[in-house]
Amino acid sequence: MKRLFLILFIFSHSIWAQQVKFEASTDRTTYGQNETIELVFTMNVDADNFELPPLNDFRVQGPIISLQEYNFNGRRGFEKSYKYYLIPKKQGVFAIKESQIEFNGRLYKSNTLKIKIIKAVQQQNNPYQNGAVVSTDDNLYLIAEVSKTNPYVNEPITVVYKLYFSYNIGITNSRELNKPKYNDFWSQNIEIKQPIAQQGIFKGQNYRYIILKKTVLYPQKSGNLFLEPLSMDIECQLPKGQPDFFGQVEVVNASKRVSTGNKIINVKPLPENGKPKDFSGAVGMFAFEVTPSKTTLKSGESLDLNIGVTGTGNLKLFTLPKPELASSLEMYDPQHNENVTTPLSGMNGTISDSYTIIPQEKGDFAIKPILFSYFDLNSNTYKTIASKEIHLNVLQGSEIAKSNVQNETAKVVANAKKTFAYIKQKTTLKSIESDDFLGSNLFYGLMILPFLTIPALVIFRKRKEAEDADVVGNKKKKSNALAKKYLSEAKKQINNKEPFYIALEKAMHNFLKAKLNIETSEMNKDKITQLLLSRNANPDTVSEFIVLTESCELARYAPSTSTLINKDYEKAVEIISSLQKQLT
Amino acid sequence: MKKIIYLFLLITQVFWAQEVFEKGNEYYQKGNFQLAINNYESVLASGKQSAEVYFNLGNCYYKLHKVAPSIYNFEKALQLNPNDTEIQTNLDFAKLMKVDDIKEIPQVGFGKLLQNFTSLYNYDAWAWLAVALAFIFLMSFIGYYFSQSALTKRIFFSVMFFIFIGIVISISSGISERNRISTEKSAIIFAEKASLKSEPKSTATEKILLHEGTKVFILESIANWKKVQLTDETTGWIEENAIKELN
Repeated sequence: MKRLFLILFIFSHSIWAQQVKFEASTDRTTYGQNETIELVFTMNVDADNFELPPLNDFRVQGPIISLQEYNFNGRRGFEKSYKYYLIPKKQGVFAIKESQIEFNGRLYKSNTLKIKIIKAVQQQNNPYQNGAVVSTDDNLYLIAEVSKTNPYVNEPITVVYKLYFSYNIGITNSRELNKPKYNDFWSQNIEIKQPIAQQGIFKGQNYRYIILKKTVLYPQKSGNLFLEPLSMDIECQLPKGQPDFFGQVEVVNASKRVSTGNKIINVKPLPENGKPKDFSGAVGMFAFEVTPSKTTLKSGESLDLNIGVTGTGNLKLFTLPKPELASSLEMYDPQHNENVTTPLSGMNGTISDSYTIIPQEKGDFAIKPILFSYFDLNSNTYKTIASKEIHLNVLQGSEIAKSNVQNETAKVVANAKKTFAYIKQKTTLKSIESDDFLGSNLFYGLMILPFLTIPALVIFRKRKEAEDADVVGNKKKKSNALAKKYLSEAKKQINNKEPFYIALEKAMHNFLKAKLNIETSEMNKDKITQLLLSRNANPDTVSEFIVLTESCELARYAPSTSTLINKDYEKAVEIISSLQKQLT
Repeated sequence: MKKIIYLFLLITQVFWAQEVFEKGNEYYQKGNFQLAINNYESVLASGKQSAEVYFNLGNCYYKLHKVAPSIYNFEKALQLNPNDTEIQTNLDFAKLMKVDDIKEIPQVGFGKLLQNFTSLYNYDAWAWLAVALAFIFLMSFIGYYFSQSALTKRIFFSVMFFIFIGIVISISSGISERNRISTEKSAIIFAEKASLKSEPKSTATEKILLHEGTKVFILESIANWKKVQLTDETTGWIEENAIKELN
């Protein structure tokens, strides 16, 4: 029992005596992206529960676990290691965090490491491996062939990755270490199903090559763009010295990591000069077409408007122009169709947007020409294609179909019955600069006139009424007026004695002629008196009349004064007036 | 003598314009819309106008699918002859062609009712109506004043009363209509696309992209920018040369 304790003690002592060492290490701190990092965790005890820290930035292979017991100068040692191979995914400085182990119930942690990953480097392998007579260095090249190093933005370029190898080595396998990411490029890989070895001349010598990878790239921005290198692990067979006994060349397997260098592509921006306003980035050679499914339809029915671009160029990388339609043509979001293939020469095919349009109202509508602009790589100029103007003849659809589309108000339904009116045939032209009638003098005049007429009318009527009331005066006035009519000639001659009396006599005769219907030849005193009296004339007035007629003859030759003349005139007026009244 | 020559010139001009108008109608009949347009435009260029000339022009432009000129001319015709249903119908048809679908916020209230009423006629028509009513007023005054029976007097008096109210209404309608037309300046967008900006600067942010044929109301102007209001009461600044004023 005691012995057992002793053994146990010794054993435990031996363990306790040694310190637990647990560390992580790499052979370098800086690696190229195409290099493999050997990460080794070593410990001097046989610990359990080894935990690998997270290594998300690397592809991890392994571990290879090795145990080693040694006796060094009488000291026994133990070493356990976990070996991992890390392949960097990207460039940068990465920390490898501590890992931990458990030993005798205690946790031990390793140190942390920092690793810097730089660009892929040309590998410095040992040229002669395993006694091979040829070196992989001179016989294996990975080349990226770029079709054009100064393209325009969106001009397609191709990158062909070729692996050249000389006739005396054989390729057994290849593995892509990092897929180049084509930042700032739109890229399309062209699948190569079966690599076929072809013959080609490289560096002036005959080589065989295989095309490993083909990519079409469309630069998306201008400036100096870097193409990331492609790195590959190539497993090959190298001949080893002389042929063997059977005439067969003995080969050694070797592995080599090859990388294309950095390629710089100088991308030119598209010229600003002459850039159309609606340019949407199309570069290449295109045909543009806008086609409606029908041009005559009823309102409420649908038609498809297909806007398509066919040709070669960056078809997937630009947007098609949108049609602008009258608001009563209801347009729905387009259906985008792509029928594009991407061979090495670049994308070609057709892309199209198909719009569904439902006219809401009848009428004659035009779809304006739609413009499509692209940059033509052949002539290095911008080109614009305009579609034809499309005329839609929308007929009156059924009301039911219409009300299904949207809740129309009664107003529009009523409107549907109306038709577009024909031109007017007749017109009255007016001057454009004609003065306004409202506020013009004519307007004021015409407005005021009726209102001024009203008081005038009132005054006129008042006067008339007053006159009507005075019946005697009125009658007198009337006959006076009549007498004056007959005597107007006499009145004119009032200053000349002879013509005055002639006129007076004539006037009196005229009066008689008018009143009694007798001729001048029949006139004599008796007849006149008789006639006048027979018509109820006052005998006094009649005699006065006779006296006056007689005095006319006398007065012509007798001297008379102007007062006398006036007196006679007054008298004549009076007599004629009275006779006028008296005669029935 | 000079006056006679002027009168003669005026008359011949009217006859000439009339002939050109009819020639335009003939071209329209034959479907030669562009020539018809040339004729109608030359009538306008000679300083003569009528609702019919604008209406026929609008028809021509409609047939040629020219949205903005069509709407512009129909609006012009409607200004001269606001109650013509044919003009209104064709304007509605023309409006269907425009791209923008801007809501028309209906004005409500008494003011709108009043405006609807006053815009029934052109203000000059209101003035003529007032003059005619004034003469009818005079007639009925005469009837009232000189009629003998009490009944006819009463009838004529009430007619006079209503006619007087009519005169007052038509004069005030005419005046308010003229005020409305002189203050409410509208315009039609002629540019195919015109952006309504938040500030009168070309670098200012765009509120809406407008298209030809849309009607705007001009509120104020700075340099070559006009502040406009749309029918949905959105306001913004638009470049002067993108629009054509209606009056």
